[in-house]
Amino acid sequence: MKKSLLATMAATIVLGGAIAGCSSNSQTEGSTEAGQGGTKQISFMFRGGPEEQKAYEATVKKFEADHPGVKVKIITTTGDQYATKLKAAITGKSVPDVFYFDPGDLRAYVNAGVLKDITEYVKDVDFDNLWKRGVDIYRYDGNNVGQGSIYGLPKDVGPFALGYNKDMFTAAGIPLPDKEKPYTWDEFIKVNQQLVKDTNGDGKIDQYGTGFNVNWALQAFVWSNGADWLDATNTKVTIDDPKFAEALQYFADMQNVHKITPSIEDAATLDTYQRWMKGELAFFPVGPWDLATYETLPFDYDLIPYPAGSTGKSATFLGSLGIGVSSSSKNPEEAAQLVTYLTASPEGMQQLVDAKVQIPNLIDMAEKWAADTTTKPENKAEFLRIVEDYGKPMPNTLTYNSEWYQLFFTDIQPVLDGKVTAADYVKAEQPKMQKLLDKAIEQEAKSKK
Amino acid sequence: MKVRSNLYRKESYYGYLFVLAPVVGYLLFTMYPLLYSLYGSFTDWDGLGQMTFIGLDNFKDILADELFYKASFNTIFMMIGIPIEITLALLLAMGLNRKMFGTTTFRVIYYVPVISSLAAVSILWQWAYNGDYGLVNQFLALFGFEGPNWLTDKYTVKPALILMMIWKNIGYSMLLYLAALQSVPKDYYEAAQLDGANSWNIFWNITFPMVKPVTFFIVVTKIIGGAQIFTEVNIMTPTGGPEYSSATVVFYVWKKAFENLQMGYASGMAMLLGLFIFVITLVQFRMNERSSKDME
Repeated sequence: MKKSLLATMAATIVLGGAIAGCSSNSQTEGSTEAGQGGTKQISFMFRGGPEEQKAYEATVKKFEADHPGVKVKIITTTGDQYATKLKAAITGKSVPDVFYFDPGDLRAYVNAGVLKDITEYVKDVDFDNLWKRGVDIYRYDGNNVGQGSIYGLPKDVGPFALGYNKDMFTAAGIPLPDKEKPYTWDEFIKVNQQLVKDTNGDGKIDQYGTGFNVNWALQAFVWSNGADWLDATNTKVTIDDPKFAEALQYFADMQNVHKITPSIEDAATLDTYQRWMKGELAFFPVGPWDLATYETLPFDYDLIPYPAGSTGKSATFLGSLGIGVSSSSKNPEEAAQLVTYLTASPEGMQQLVDAKVQIPNLIDMAEKWAADTTTKPENKAEFLRIVEDYGKPMPNTLTYNSEWYQLFFTDIQPVLDGKVTAADYVKAEQPKMQKLLDKAIEQEAKSKK
Repeated sequence: MKVRSNLYRKESYYGYLFVLAPVVGYLLFTMYPLLYSLYGSFTDWDGLGQMTFIGLDNFKDILADELFYKASFNTIFMMIGIPIEITLALLLAMGLNRKMFGTTTFRVIYYVPVISSLAAVSILWQWAYNGDYGLVNQFLALFGFEGPNWLTDKYTVKPALILMMIWKNIGYSMLLYLAALQSVPKDYYEAAQLDGANSWNIFWNITFPMVKPVTFFIVVTKIIGGAQIFTEVNIMTPTGGPEYSSATVVFYVWKKAFENLQMGYASGMAMLLGLFIFVITLVQFRMNERSSKDME
């Protein structure tokens, strides 16, 4: 009797051990199971809205059809859960074979040995036909991003363009903005002021000029004024530059002084996004990911360059999301094939572009796409100009972590409310941000060991 | 001496087996991560690669971290909702404990938010609090008030979250109270009435003491839960609110661990939070013991 009790206990412990084995070692589940008939299985984790998920799932199906012998296990999450899930997978050592990653995490992932160098697997890719800026942010030589081995390819590039409501201009009898020559800051305020109106005569304003979200639009004003968050070496926080303060003050004054935007509290994206969609805003940023949604807008819209500060040149950011391969993948070749199929093959790209969730990664395809002026917006070429010419990566993607950058936006509300001047703010904030950046640099140095 | 029969042995053997499953689960999924995190809190660890032992450095940094204090203050501040919720829940339970028309319907109405997904509820309330189109401000407008944009104003964001949490959780406490009220022997009330006690006396001397164990249970679990608020904050104010005014400790831990590659630091904060919860709970149990003795 006693013996069998021990045996059962032993069996239970083994069983428990097996469960533990699963939880800590499940990368094997995705990649090594040879499956029936020699098919290789790879797992692919990504994120996106419902439209994007559908588009990517369909494209992966097509990849499987084109690559018999490879089966792809799809893992999707919503955008806000992705980072948590991926980092938990990394900590738990069960990284999916193929996964999206933020360009800001590139160095951390390479230094920690999470991302695989896929340079030799992507030799066949025609890099002349891919956006150089898009590819370069996934190159890393151990010290600098932008050169060296390839650790991923861009899922897409996201030029954050400026749109305007054409119908509103026509109705007000104001000449349409020039798509070649950006407004100066003063001109921009003036044209906005002409568009702030009480259209139904109830004494309340119901049509505004614009309404930018500080997190996503301040960069356009700072950069076009010749300032930036970081110096060229990405080691010094430079927000205490007077030109930076000038841009921030201009941004805040749009609300507090010039009153061309909805009231102070309404600056959160949700509100202005909705107002734009209802046709209550004259100017609003447009990203390629919005195109499917904006097809149903009840008005005509088009793209123009952002108003230019003292440099006389427009600026905005060019976002991107990489697709990489796990260094623990048992089938790196097939995994890399999926990456190139989704990012650089005409078959895969066409399907994603047709779903209207992104602009093409392939230059020839993108040029054809932009030349088609029958679909909205007419001036799609502006997107390509941002990609080729004046789009910049977000400052937070240039450093090991982005805590210093987040602090800037955490504390900014009093400036936007007009309670603190931009000059005072940048002076007080710079040392705090510098301290966090120094910490990030120190952390990066340690991660290389 | 006890005589141990075969039957008894057999039973105990299955008994061990049944006990083993949860124990293994506990060791594996609670104890192991806890100890791992405890060790992590003494290391410099980005959550990806090597852990380097650095002793108490994380704790030194945490105790000098402005945002940690801000998040701790917010967490404790939001517990203001707990006494409000408990009072309202008890009043509601007493109301619904009477024989009157429609009590079942009301019980269901108050309980529905409890079983709804917290994420869904958060998104719903995010819309309700919208400054322009939100239900809350539209309601206030009926009385001529112009409501603020609740979630983007540092003075209204915490009350807004508290209000929502009360709405979400009140049904749970109410149901517990209802069960407790129904188990109070009716004779007590009859005797009190015969003695001419008024309703306040009855409440204070009979109802309140009789439901005290439930109150204790609710207070303890609410404070533990309150110290761990995360989902609501993360969904309704994904950046931690204006000037970090709605960020809680768990929110800050999550930010550090998963966004800023500081898993060691985050583990340290989690340990401090765990310690805080442990101490508070211990104090509550001690106080409860003492007041139970006083009553005897």
